[in-house]
Amino acid sequence: MPSTPSQRFATFAALHVPGDPVILYNIWDVGSAEAVVKAGAKALATGSHPVGDASGFGDAHHVPLDYVFANAGRIVEAIDPLPLTVDFEGAYSTDAEEGGQNVARLKATGAVGCNFEDQVVGGEGIHPLELQVSRIAAIRRAVGADFFLNARTDLFIKYDTRDDALVDQAIERGKAFADAGASGFFVPRLADPRQIERVVREVPLPLNVIAFPGAPPKAEWAAAGVARISHGPFPHRALMAQLTEAASAAIN
Amino acid sequence: MSNFARFAELHVPGSPLVLFNVWDAGSAQAAAKAGASAIATGSASVAMANGFGDGQEVPLEFVLANAKRIVDAVDVPVTVDFEGAYSTDPHEGARNIVRLADTGAAGCNFEDQVVGGEGLHPIPVQAERIAAARAAVGPDFFINVRTDLFLKAKQDTHDEAMLDEAIRRVHAYAEAGASGFFVPMLGNLGFLGRLCAEATVPVNFMTYPGCPSDAEVAATGVARISHGPFPYMALMARFEEMAREALG
Repeated sequence: MPSTPSQRFATFAALHVPGDPVILYNIWDVGSAEAVVKAGAKALATGSHPVGDASGFGDAHHVPLDYVFANAGRIVEAIDPLPLTVDFEGAYSTDAEEGGQNVARLKATGAVGCNFEDQVVGGEGIHPLELQVSRIAAIRRAVGADFFLNARTDLFIKYDTRDDALVDQAIERGKAFADAGASGFFVPRLADPRQIERVVREVPLPLNVIAFPGAPPKAEWAAAGVARISHGPFPHRALMAQLTEAASAAIN
Repeated sequence: MSNFARFAELHVPGSPLVLFNVWDAGSAQAAAKAGASAIATGSASVAMANGFGDGQEVPLEFVLANAKRIVDAVDVPVTVDFEGAYSTDPHEGARNIVRLADTGAAGCNFEDQVVGGEGLHPIPVQAERIAAARAAVGPDFFINVRTDLFLKAKQDTHDEAMLDEAIRRVHAYAEAGASGFFVPMLGNLGFLGRLCAEATVPVNFMTYPGCPSDAEVAATGVARISHGPFPYMALMARFEEMAREALG
């Protein structure tokens, strides 16, 4: 018997343990999801960049919404009862209500959660905090209480100072996102354990950081209080590099 | 030179075109980056990557959309593994192949097994299907007609009678308008050599674990070597290892 959504929501939320992070090795289609399930994953996460690259549409809302939903639905079915969270970029609308409706449609695929980012997709910089808070609140109203809304700030992607002043801004955002109804806080490219500790201490949400080539060991991040470590575009990139290598050996 | 001519002229007996089969736009780009002069999909790989079964269970609309995305993603000719053209009716199959050609694909594989059933279509039936496809799609599209004679039988049972049947099929298929002849799981080098000597169209060999080397296969006169589902399977096994390491 297939698992129920409420079972999957509960399973997924419970995996976010500060100090003992859930590891998400990002996938893009059913086949990659099945490989990660076989490797012993407890939950699955798509990466929008890998889905964009694998399908040829490209990242940044270029993958049509219907494709995102159909792909998510196929993955959900293939990995049941494990939970799937979808990297949903900016929910395909800057309009708060329309974004909320899009996330509700994503929930209808059976996904337990999504990433939702604050960068201006296809534009410059990040959305003002007030606007982003209204978008998060609208999504929460649209999807109900248990959908895992992983609110992402792209401060550390967009501004490479990565200094304590930027950490202050991230903390301000994390607190506001929590008040607006976010379930988790995602800060890609936040990497310094000391900065991570500050965010964990001050933002009342499970913290998600992204592993990248050259990142500190996962144990250091865990000790700093991280609750979720994902891998973004790197697994797909590494695998495609191996495909190029294998193809090159076969062709030449 | 047209995309079709460019693809056809890559089929050189003794100096085969090597196709490292892919399943989506990203894998196509990765193969192109390796210097591939053409790109081929594998139907089993496309099915596995997307959670469908093989045997025409990938919806036709998905196959066509995926083909279009691959064609748009690379600068080299693309051939699509199209199984039995999604119909046993010659005219409907032909219409499907025209729709595939409309994606910009330069060719396709078209097989003679009864998809979802038993055995192979009789030669006259398959020849009629090929002729209908050729009439509909025009002279240039590369229809690589596949016989599943050898795929359907264990390799230690591949005998002279089967080779004779394959030779009858290649003659009939070529006369009906096939551009190439594909014999997956035929691995007997002597048989391959005799088949290549008889065939008036380029012969396609598929690699498999433990198969003869490319050089040995090339020496029989084969003009195209493809890899079927094996690149996908090997890569996904590797992905599982990478994930296991990351999950610690």
